[in-house]
Amino acid sequence: MSGSNVGIQQAEGHYVDLRRITLLESLRNEEQTWSKLAPRWCVTNPDPPWQVCLDATCDALSAGGALDSLDRRHAEDELGETVYSEIPNPERQLLALAHIMVRRGLMTEEELARQIRIVRARLEAVQE
Amino acid sequence: MANTHSHGGHDHPEDGGHDHPAAPMVDEISDFEILELAVRELAIEKGLFTAEDHRAFSEWNDARSPAAGSRMVAKAWTDPAYKSRVFSDPLAASKEVGVDWSEPSGFGTTSDYMHMTVLEDTPTLHHVIVCTLCSCYPRPILGHSPYWYRAPNYRRRIVRWPREVLAEFGLIVPPEVELRVEDSNAKSRFMVLPVRPEGTDGWSEEQLAEIVTRDTMIGIAMPKPGRTSDGPRPIHKASRPVHSGGRPREAAP
Repeated sequence: MSGSNVGIQQAEGHYVDLRRITLLESLRNEEQTWSKLAPRWCVTNPDPPWQVCLDATCDALSAGGALDSLDRRHAEDELGETVYSEIPNPERQLLALAHIMVRRGLMTEEELARQIRIVRARLEAVQE
Repeated sequence: MANTHSHGGHDHPEDGGHDHPAAPMVDEISDFEILELAVRELAIEKGLFTAEDHRAFSEWNDARSPAAGSRMVAKAWTDPAYKSRVFSDPLAASKEVGVDWSEPSGFGTTSDYMHMTVLEDTPTLHHVIVCTLCSCYPRPILGHSPYWYRAPNYRRRIVRWPREVLAEFGLIVPPEVELRVEDSNAKSRFMVLPVRPEGTDGWSEEQLAEIVTRDTMIGIAMPKPGRTSDGPRPIHKASRPVHSGGRPREAAP
């Protein structure tokens, strides 16, 4: 497992810089959360299918040394009580993880925006 | 001729094609689904972890559930020798119900240390677990922690006003019963072994395991005949966000 604890920028007195991130603000659509999506499609599974993958990402980041689990949980708590307090879980956990990774320099907002465009194009492609 | 219905441009016979209707699924791509994939792929691209690391943790996560803990409790209720092993060597007792704490890496995960203590309830002693620091939880044996367990509100209040908080969950602990709140820490995981309820004489392990729900092993509910699921729980917001916590200055790099 690889990765290194690079580019960490701590905000004084906090585990993470709480300033809002434009890209993530544009994604916080409550209508897209699992608690709204699931009943719309009569699905009873309490968690979205991607929840398992999100937890695995958190585990893998910690195992690789890029983002320690305890450190992440502290930062998640701060973000969950402030910036993303209106968003339910697990979407809150996901937004917080992305926020922490951007604010700590593990990825840039531009890189994430580019990857979102790539993934969206791939998932929304319609086979001819 | 059997009745048919059109679905997706082709026909299925109503009787004989499928034994049961397809489970409903969300046929819509959400922004969050896209974000999860984007974060993961970018992390792999940057070398923060490998796709193989992620696959291993995904499979491990996907296989976790409270069912193993339920089996452990049911077995302890019916087998005194096993029960003594549950207390003397919980990791070995876990293996007997199919859980190896060393998975998936050979030394567990980075947040599930290989140390577990099982707390035995009695008619005069009740336990409840929490992690005031973050959300430490015996994931290998109980699966993923519920969100209310992770919420700062529960973590802050259960240690201060345990009887009141348990009452909010619908569990009234009589004053004559001693209540102990066990705070998990970075290296210790706890699980509650509840008292076997009356009305279960002669039950099989499988029957008993059905009433040992996740919440009874956290300690916010008691097992009883007929109660086989936990249902939704409220997640209360924090009353004094962030200002009551914050990064300790000595922890700063």
